Amino acid sequence: MTFIRRQKRSVATFLGLALLSLAPMSHAADDQQTRETVERVARLFSSTSSIATVKMQIINEDGQRDISMKIWSLGEKILVRITNPQDEAGTAILKEGSDIWYYLPKSNRTVKIPPSMAMNSWMGSDFTIDDLVKETFLTRDYSISTFFQGKRGGIEVDEYALTPKPQAAVVWGKIILQIRKADAVPTWQGFYDENGQLVRELTFSDYKVMSGRLIPTRLVMRTAEKAGAQTTIEYEDVAFDVPISEGTFSLPSPK
Amino acid sequence: MRGRLLQLAWRNLWRNPRRTFITMAAIAFGYVMLLFVACLMAGLRWQMIQNGTCLVMSQIQVHAPGYYPSRSIQKTLGGRQGTDIGAVLAAVTADRRVYAATPRVYGYGLLSAAHRSAGVELMGIVPDQEPKVTILNSQIAKGSYLTARMPKGVVIGDKLASTIGIGVGSEIVLLTQAADGSMGNDVYTVVGSFHSGLDAVDRGLVLMSLSSLQDLLHLAPTRIHEVGIKLNDIMAATTVAAALGLQLSKTLPVRVMAWPELAPELANYVQFNHGITFVLFFIFFLLAVIGVMNTMLMAVFERTRELGMLMALGMRPVQVIVLILTEAAGLAVASLVVGGALGVPILWYLQEHGLDLGGATGGVISLAGVVVGHLWYGRQDFPAYGQAALGLAATALVSALYPAWRAAHFRPTEAIRKV
Repeated sequence: MTFIRRQKRSVATFLGLALLSLAPMSHAADDQQTRETVERVARLFSSTSSIATVKMQIINEDGQRDISMKIWSLGEKILVRITNPQDEAGTAILKEGSDIWYYLPKSNRTVKIPPSMAMNSWMGSDFTIDDLVKETFLTRDYSISTFFQGKRGGIEVDEYALTPKPQAAVVWGKIILQIRKADAVPTWQGFYDENGQLVRELTFSDYKVMSGRLIPTRLVMRTAEKAGAQTTIEYEDVAFDVPISEGTFSLPSPK
Repeated sequence: MRGRLLQLAWRNLWRNPRRTFITMAAIAFGYVMLLFVACLMAGLRWQMIQNGTCLVMSQIQVHAPGYYPSRSIQKTLGGRQGTDIGAVLAAVTADRRVYAATPRVYGYGLLSAAHRSAGVELMGIVPDQEPKVTILNSQIAKGSYLTARMPKGVVIGDKLASTIGIGVGSEIVLLTQAADGSMGNDVYTVVGSFHSGLDAVDRGLVLMSLSSLQDLLHLAPTRIHEVGIKLNDIMAATTVAAALGLQLSKTLPVRVMAWPELAPELANYVQFNHGITFVLFFIFFLLAVIGVMNTMLMAVFERTRELGMLMALGMRPVQVIVLILTEAAGLAVASLVVGGALGVPILWYLQEHGLDLGGATGGVISLAGVVVGHLWYGRQDFPAYGQAALGLAATALVSALYPAWRAAHFRPTEAIRKV
């Protein structure tokens, strides 16, 4: 039973994960059809384990930065290891349960990140540390309703509005999830505050079959109040449900 | 005629010395009280501003436009290229009203030691220049202040030290987001801790050398966020800031701010203090009015017969009014001289020794986010002393007006008949 539950909760991979981990845990409150669609999208990135090679490009007022990293996930553990640029290579982030650790090769130290810092921008990008490693259970924390059905930019899409359930501890006032009708892949996701203002938006594109699934391999995040800035994530390679040893998820112990 | 009036007024004052002395005592006492209040309030104001600006902030700060208050680490003086720091400091100190100026760099980061960590504000300073502007170097609780010999040394607040569980000699890691977006991090050694008495500072401030913080933040050595300035006269801050702003912006885009703008709560407090002083002054004036009016009224009614006689002898009502007002003015001047003379030792004592408010507890009092010692020192506020003197003199004259007016309307025949 435990095993099954664990498999069902299945941590999503990295960002895809953090942003789209609609772990199928919802109860019958929402419309069955709607929920199933959203859950299908959620399963795109769900797996018991995964290994991904990702490129992140950060563009902001200070210029452009490219970061390459490799991400491992197993159960509730996530490890991110930076491989490029050279002076930051080796930097690692480990998420274990609700704890987040950084390994800093320059200082040769492992540092625990306090929860208060989790909402800070990660390396100057439009993502927060929280985005990177926090699991959100959209179908558990949000009520889902159909928001729009029809054509957007000449493509048939369905849009779902996700509003937080009263007791859910979530930061957004509303999330709109846009899904392409033809193949049920996500195309756009908007994050709104309590006043209904768009705070940031995530655009999905470059759908490719990886490890047997059709997934968007390019994610672009834009923050409304930072005009001209954006962060792009490109999945160069993803392998789902691959064997990974528990030992992978360790950092040098803190001194 | 005028000379005669003066002579008459003078003689009248000494005709009943006891009455005159009582009135004088009322005014003189009032004046001493006003001097006392003005001196203490000015002292409190000065101490608040002094302590509020000299702990960490400084009295005037020079930033790049747009740096304050968001404090984005990119917005260094002179932009991305930075600036000739020596030239900026020289331009600032060329103003004779400036006592000293020092460069600074700021950042935010995570301080991590063994198993605990905390978010902190990082302040990069030049160890042998900063103490000319601020006094944190005199608040060292354990260990020592920064020295040029230990570039990787940091000095932290004592409460931060105990929260994290570290002390002098401990190694810590500072993790921050550097100017280029990368994760700046390095290992440092705690060389000392300070106790300022101000919670936010003691809990959240990490001092390190300017060049170390520039390294950590990936800032070139020419890039600084701030020049902190100490003045010879704190009260001139706004004027000097404006002058420096004009002077510096000839070569460098800057925004120069004085402490009232940097610490509005402190400026508000100063306003509040002025308000309290005004209210206290008003109360003492009121007391003086009642005292003077009472004695003047008594004096005039006691002298009904005498004044009636003068009028019967041909003195006109206007002259009676002038006579009584002259008496009041003379009385006021004499009283203020006496009061002032009595006040001098009191004012001197307040300035030199202060009032001890809770020496028994030995504690530190924090007011409006500023630490004030338990000794309340006075400070000479000559404009206020002058205003108090003028106010009291005016009070004496105004309160003599009514009795004078009454006296001017005596009918000589009736007045003479009064015993």
